[in-house]
Parts: sequence; structure tokens; C-alpha cells
Amino acid sequence: MEKTIALVGNPNVGKSVVFSRLTGTYAVVSNYPGTTVDISRGTAVFGGRKFQVIDTPGTNSLEPVSEDEQVTRDILKSEHPDVIVQVADAKNMYRTLLLTFELQALGLPLILELNMFDELLQRGMKIDRDELEKLLGIPVVESTAISGEGIAELKRHIRALTDSGAAREALVPPPVTSEEKHTKAREITLRVLRASSRKETTRLEKLGAAMMHPVGGYVFVAVVLFILYEFVGVFAAGTVVDFLEHTVFGAWVTPVVSSAIDHLTTSVLVKDFLIGKYGIISMAISYAFAIVLPIVTAFFLFFSILEDTGYLPRLSVMLDRLFRIFGLNGKAVLPMVLGLGCGTMAALSTRILETRKERIITVILLSLTIPCSAQIGVILGLLSGVSWKIAVVWIASISLSIVMVGSLANKLVPGEQSPFIFEIPPVRVPSVVNILRKVGMRLRWYLKEAVPLFVLGTVLLFIVDKLAVLTVIERMARPIVVSVLGLPPVTTAAFLIGFLRRDYGAAGLYVLAKQGLLDPTQVLVSVVAITLFVPCIAQCFMVVKEQGWKLAMLIFAGVTLYAVTFAGIVNVIARSIQW
Amino acid sequence: MNTQECFDEEEALGVIWNSVEKKQSDLASIVERLRTGVSATVFDDLIAKKLIMVDGNTVVMMPAGAAVGRDVTRRHRLTERLLADVLQVKGPDIDVTACKIEHIISTGIADSICTLLGHPRACPHGSPIPSGECCKRLQSSTEPIVTSLDTLPVGATAIVAYLVTGSHPHIHKLLSLGVVPGTPVRLHQKSPSFVVNVNETQIALDSDIARQIYVRTC
Repeated sequence: MEKTIALVGNPNVGKSVVFSRLTGTYAVVSNYPGTTVDISRGTAVFGGRKFQVIDTPGTNSLEPVSEDEQVTRDILKSEHPDVIVQVADAKNMYRTLLLTFELQALGLPLILELNMFDELLQRGMKIDRDELEKLLGIPVVESTAISGEGIAELKRHIRALTDSGAAREALVPPPVTSEEKHTKAREITLRVLRASSRKETTRLEKLGAAMMHPVGGYVFVAVVLFILYEFVGVFAAGTVVDFLEHTVFGAWVTPVVSSAIDHLTTSVLVKDFLIGKYGIISMAISYAFAIVLPIVTAFFLFFSILEDTGYLPRLSVMLDRLFRIFGLNGKAVLPMVLGLGCGTMAALSTRILETRKERIITVILLSLTIPCSAQIGVILGLLSGVSWKIAVVWIASISLSIVMVGSLANKLVPGEQSPFIFEIPPVRVPSVVNILRKVGMRLRWYLKEAVPLFVLGTVLLFIVDKLAVLTVIERMARPIVVSVLGLPPVTTAAFLIGFLRRDYGAAGLYVLAKQGLLDPTQVLVSVVAITLFVPCIAQCFMVVKEQGWKLAMLIFAGVTLYAVTFAGIVNVIARSIQW
Repeated sequence: MNTQECFDEEEALGVIWNSVEKKQSDLASIVERLRTGVSATVFDDLIAKKLIMVDGNTVVMMPAGAAVGRDVTRRHRLTERLLADVLQVKGPDIDVTACKIEHIISTGIADSICTLLGHPRACPHGSPIPSGECCKRLQSSTEPIVTSLDTLPVGATAIVAYLVTGSHPHIHKLLSLGVVPGTPVRLHQKSPSFVVNVNETQIALDSDIARQIYVRTC
């Protein structure tokens, strides 16, 4: 029978790297605690056997504090794995042992894997492994999973333990009470760990300190935002999109495809369906590949580098005080910044937050205010073509909304705010291979999820347009779109497809603005409205899944009402001051 | 009045002060607690001396009684801190021993203990310690031996003495991150958030949590 291996350990020790090494399947790896919020499963084959491997969210203790830690405890209780591999940060012996004792108490075969051993050696520290094995009574493996070192030995131990059958009686009974655990952990650490009296700080440590310096840290934020704007907004959304749209699609693909279609069919309907106003090639495919794909690629690349260096936890140090106004703490920076990448992933990652109140407020802010990378890129591309002033007002409107809605939600949502106690990983040089794998995985995910929705949206629009229902919908939406928001009726289509994908809706506005159908005020109002509007369908489902129907509907209703009202006010103000 | 009666009276006022603090001042439960814990007659004595009175179904402390109750509670909880932190006494011994010592130390000695410990805010069980004259004179005038993390200068290293956060999960979280009494911590920065280095772990904390971590400067 297939044996089960569970990988368990403190946060950010490299469980997902070990998982990838054992199974050959990629699990997202980043340099901050809480990357894995749900379990991933994979199959490993070695020594002529097949194993099921479970990767669990990091946990400091089997007495869980947050929801992702709860996941780990539940999985150990319900699945009774045949072997537990405790993946550990070799540098942090004391903390490792506290968890080791809890795992030993479960009575399942256990292997301790001292990972990131290279970092331990770099810091001039040494571990007496034989002594540690003797003191704990379990096998101990040294490894540097990112380069693959020690994995072969880990596999040998897994085989040996699973071959020997049932759980052995622990050779050394683990301590029980909290005081015993701490005393024993201290004793063992003193006996096996030889620390060096290292005085000098490395360049990376200095960089890490600069990223959260009381003054320098804010300069760092500004620099990061500037690079983001230049790389994603100007380079990807400007240069690359122009090239793809005009040269690749405009000059090559579209003419070739349309002449090919001319040869193949004479049916106007089929032609319209493929390359008409709402055609699958002219709209869905060209939006997806010419406009959105280069932008999300750039963003995913930029974001992956930020993740792997360890910048994000330092950003949360900078923003903790601001987030207290919203009833959150610095930890919520992670899902919020992740939301700038993809709101759906972010809605899932709210699990790292400790209280329900914090999760709800974060979901509200994610649904309402945080535009995803694809949407930001498209909007930046759109705005950079009109006026920088609009970009400033857009950013100001979104920031104002975050502060207003956040502080209001803090008052309205019942529950507790948790204190900020957050582990900051060391700054690391990102591995190019990991960045490329991660970007590749996210792009595949994007193509698999977004492109079908783009096509679906286009088909719906096409049908609705052909049946003349679109005019009916435009007429029904007129009081809001035209009277309240002051936008031309054609924008209704953009908002409609915005339900499927917000970036798709923004791309619709992008095209309308390029065609000169929107004046500057209308660009501003439409962009504000589509940013604040309900999130895309995938994010909606994630919110429903995580928070339940009732709450999700309440949030969406509130978000829609707020979006229309706020954009309406922006319209009135912009019109009256005639900027 | 003999010494035993005096002890009983203090003890009883301490018990009542505790009950009122926990909002459990109903007559029946207090009488029961005094009868089993102190003596059968002490309740009537206190009423006779106008240290407490009974209002309907609740016990109300008169100003003089409240002052004694508060003071004895302060001495009790400070003693507990002293036993736990400095003398490393563990478990139920702390409470039992403190119950005896509290009656024989004067208010002045209590203030000395309070200053030595850096004016702690809570006993080892998490109940608040009523502040004394010495706390009002402000602790920063003299260098306390034990101080909260937020008063350390940036770059300083100190040994964790105790954690006073009232919430179990937060203590647990700090402990599992390695912020354990006896461990050296280095204060890396205070602003915009607190960042400390403990062993090879770097931890960010908000100022509330930093105030709840007491350290011994070395």
C-alpha cells in the first residue's frame, strides 16, 4: 500500500522546496512565512516504492493560533501519516525542538531534517548531529534542499522507517509540560549547537535593515513603487503592448487571419464572430495576449523577485501602524500586496490572519479597492496615454477609499484585532530557477483561468449584441452609467465583461479611450468605477468559499453601492471644477 | 487585637477586594469564601469596624477597607512576582508562599520590591498589580533592574525576564518564536515597529507587545 509522508515545520523553513524535491511537482516557494496556506499533495517514487507526500502550512506549534496553522494540526490528526518529516531551519535549533517535542508526542515515526544547512555554515555555526540523534532518539538529516543536498539521505531514512513498519516506541520520551519543553530545548541546544561569535554583519543583513529603517524604509517603498511603475506601467504596458498590439497583431496576425477568413467563409455572421466588434480573435484573443499577458508577465516577474528577497515582511514592518487604523496589523500587508498580483490568490491567503475580523476587513478591502496586476497594468497603460493628472487622482481616490472604508469597517465589523508578532526572514538572493518556475506556474494558471473567461465573455457579448439585447441592457443601465457616472452608453459593455475579469473590463475601456470615445473626465470616472467595482468572478467564488454566501453577498452589495456612489461623486466634482 | 486577628482581617479584605475586582461581589459567595478560607467570624468583625457594608445582595467596601484590601493585594502580587522572577519559584508554591509573606512586609518594603522589579504591571498569573507611591514617582528617574522592552535603547541586548501579556495565545506565540525567559534579545529598532533579534530569528512586534515583554538589563 502507498505510504504517506507529511512534511511539517516552522514557517519559512523550506517545506515546499523539500516537497518539490521529493515529488518533482512545483509548490510555490517564497521567502516569507505563510506562503503555503493550504495543503498540497504529490506523489514521490523512490527505492521502488510510491509515496504520497503532503506539504503543510508552516506552524510553530500544534496548538494553532491562525487558520493556516489549524490546517496542519487537522491533517496530522485525520490522516495518520506513516512518516512525519519535520523540516527545520538548522539555525533555529531551540524553536525547532519545541515543535519536535510536540510531534514526538503524536507517537508517529519522525525524521528531523535540518534544512538550510548552508546558511548555518555561512554563519560559522556547527551542529553535532550524532549527539542530537542520541538525545532525541530519532534520525536527523542535514540538508540544503534548494540545491538538493541531503535529499538522498532523507529518502533513505524515509524508506528505512516505512519498512520497519509500525511506529516504534519513542526511545527517549519527549517532555510534556511547557516548562519541561523549554528547559529540555535549551539543554539540547547548548549541547549540540556550536555558535560562533560572529560580529560583522553581511551585506544582505545591511540591506534587510535598510528596508525597514524608520526613514530609509519609506525611501525604499518609493523606489520600489517607481521601479514597478517604470517596469510594469511604462515598459510592459506601454512599449511591449504597443509592439504586440500594433506590430504583431495589427500588422501581421489580424491581416493574415482576416484574409484567411475571407477565403474560408462568406458568412458575415461567422466573420463577425471571429473578427468583428465583439469577435473572438479581434477582442478576446488580442486583449488576452496583446494587452493583458505582457502586463501580468511583467508584474509576476517583479512580484516574484520581491517575494523571494524577503522584502514583503519588511514592508509590513513599515506599514503596521497605518494598518492599525483599519483594525488590521502589519501581517495583512501580505494578502493586500498579493492582491495587487491576483485578488483570488489573495482572498485565499487571508487565512494567515489570526482573527475573523481581520479576515473580513481584508476581504472587503481586497474586493473593493485593490486592483489586480492585470487591471493595474491596463489602467496604467490607459492613463499614461491621457494625462498624469488623472493617474494621480485615480491613485488618490483609491487610497482615500482604502482609508475611509478601512476605518469604517474597523468600527462596524465586530471582533478583535490581533497584535503584530511577525517573524522576518533573512534577506536572500532570489534563485533565478525558482523565479522562473514561479512566474511560469502563475502564467499557466493565468492562461488557464483568464483566457477561457475572455472567450466566454466575448461570446456572451456577441450574442447579446446580435440579439439587440445589449441595447436593452444599455438602456436599463442608462440611469446609472449615463446619468450618475456621466459615461457614454458603450461603456456598459466594458462594465459587463468586468464581472468576468476586471482586467478584461479595463481593457474594454482602454480600447474605447484609444478610439477617442471618452473625454478625460470620463476616463477618470470609468477607471475609478471599474477599480472599485465587484471583483472578478474567480475572486467572488473564492470569497464565497472562504467567508460563506451570506457575508459574501453583503460585501458585494456594499462594494457595488460604494463604487457607484464614489465614482458618481468623482464625476460631479470633476465636472464642476472643470479641470 | 492579636496578630492572628490582624492577619485574618487583612487576608479577608484582600479576598473581598479581589472579588470586587472580578465583579463577583455577591454576598453569599463572599461569606462562603471567607468562612472556608479565613475564619468564621471575620466577616462580622469587618462590618462592625465599618470596613465593609452589605447593600442588598452585594458586599460594598468602605474607603478604609478598600485601601487595606488594595494594599494587601499589591503586596501579594508583588511578592508573587519576586518569587517567580527573581527566586525562580515554580507552580503552586508561589501563591502559597506569597499568602504568608504579604502580611509581614510593610508598604515601604513593597515599594522597594516594586522598584527592584521595574514596577511590574501584572502578577505571574496575569492579574494587574495595583500601583504604589513608587510607581507614581515614575520609574524612569531611577534605572530599574527589570524594565519593559520598549524602554531599552536601540541596539541594546538584554535577557528576557517575563512576559505579561494577558492572552494565552500571544504568550504561546512569543514562546514558540523563541522569546523565552532567560534568552538574550537584541533590540534592532523601535520605529515604525519594534524589531528584535532572538537567537537567529528576527521578529517584528507592535509597541503594545513590546511593553509586555520585560527584560533584565545586563
